[in-house]
Amino acid sequence: MARTKFPVEVLTPEGEVFNDEVEMVSTRTATGSIGILANHTPLLAMLDPTELRLYRSESEIVRYAQGEGYLQVADGRALILVEDAIAPGQLDAADLTEKLRAAEDAYARAQDGSEEQRLAARDRRRWEAFQRIAAGA
Amino acid sequence: MAQRDVKNRIASVKNIQKITRAMEMVAAARLRRAEQRIEALRPYAGAIRRMTRQAAEAAGNVPALPILAEHESEERVALLLVTADRGLAGAFNSQIIRAGVRTAADYQAAGKQIVYYATGRRGVSSLTFRGTEPEQGFTGFTERPTYANAREIAHCLMAAYVDGKVDRVEVLYNGYISPISQEVRRETLLPLQQATILEAETPEEADRPTGHTALVEYEPEPEEILQRLVPDYVEISIYRALLESTASELGARMTAMRNASDNAGDIITDLTLEMNRARQAEITQEIMEVVGGAEALS
Repeated sequence: MARTKFPVEVLTPEGEVFNDEVEMVSTRTATGSIGILANHTPLLAMLDPTELRLYRSESEIVRYAQGEGYLQVADGRALILVEDAIAPGQLDAADLTEKLRAAEDAYARAQDGSEEQRLAARDRRRWEAFQRIAAGA
Repeated sequence: MAQRDVKNRIASVKNIQKITRAMEMVAAARLRRAEQRIEALRPYAGAIRRMTRQAAEAAGNVPALPILAEHESEERVALLLVTADRGLAGAFNSQIIRAGVRTAADYQAAGKQIVYYATGRRGVSSLTFRGTEPEQGFTGFTERPTYANAREIAHCLMAAYVDGKVDRVEVLYNGYISPISQEVRRETLLPLQQATILEAETPEEADRPTGHTALVEYEPEPEEILQRLVPDYVEISIYRALLESTASELGARMTAMRNASDNAGDIITDLTLEMNRARQAEITQEIMEVVGGAEALS
């Protein structure tokens, strides 16, 4: 049975990547995985890097490698703001390996407990998540 | 100059003109794309702003984050100079370097230390040449900066500020006004002003409800969301500076190349005139010789 559709917009600093009606949005907030259906209660959530899935229907799924971001549900619409939204096919495994290594180096170099280290950890987490998506794609 | 030399010079100036024309057209085409990218950032930046105000309203205030806190004493000032990887754009790069050096001199006169950061090969090499090597240089993307580039720079500067390596961060870049007009802008990035965060872009926006009601769920708590939302302002500010700088670079290059093409046109006109005169003089000379010869025979 087809579910009720609702409008979803995915925005990045480089422009809009998706703006259409979907049945379900699946992503990951700072507290865990989350699925959004139509008529969800108003929400403001912080998103962590993961694979963003937009279900146009049971079988038609649009996927993106999603960086850190935010999800707002209000007035029956979902607005997803993310720093990156890359189609899994566009991910470059070699490039990701290099970025991950750079982040690991930065993490190892940084002083324990410093802001530098904290930021390197966030970079590492993003590239790890993207690498997993690239491997699955 | 002999006729043949003038002819060669005309040919070489014409070749230069072809190149400058082509560069002008390439810059014009890229400029349009750069302008679109500035436009594309607007909805994202606006949405981040609205979410921040919503979360701040829910939290009751903005948490005391280290990037918002002024340091007790201001001894080391970081200057981020936004330049281009390439030249041939008029005063584009040099006016940033000049403004940076002047700002640095003012701070040094007040007894402060300067730490340079630079984007673009031109900025990095100029600073290195002056013996003031940048703490970190970011190069290879100034023709088409991405948000990831801005994030890298922002993280580097925020880490330096929060870890107490610098006490203030300023950025100098070419602000984009129109294809023919750019201005050097100097902005303070850190400490971030709380007023900047909560300020609405337009008066209408200020009147609009932020969307916060008792019904809204927050995941995690609004305070925690703000801890990540607020640093995004620094990333967005840097990204906007990079995009405006790119548009300005292309605008400046377009103008510089148009002037170069016009100058080449002037030189070609002058040289053509000179060549015609030389040819005319030669013909006159030959006629005189023929007439002189005929006279001698009669």
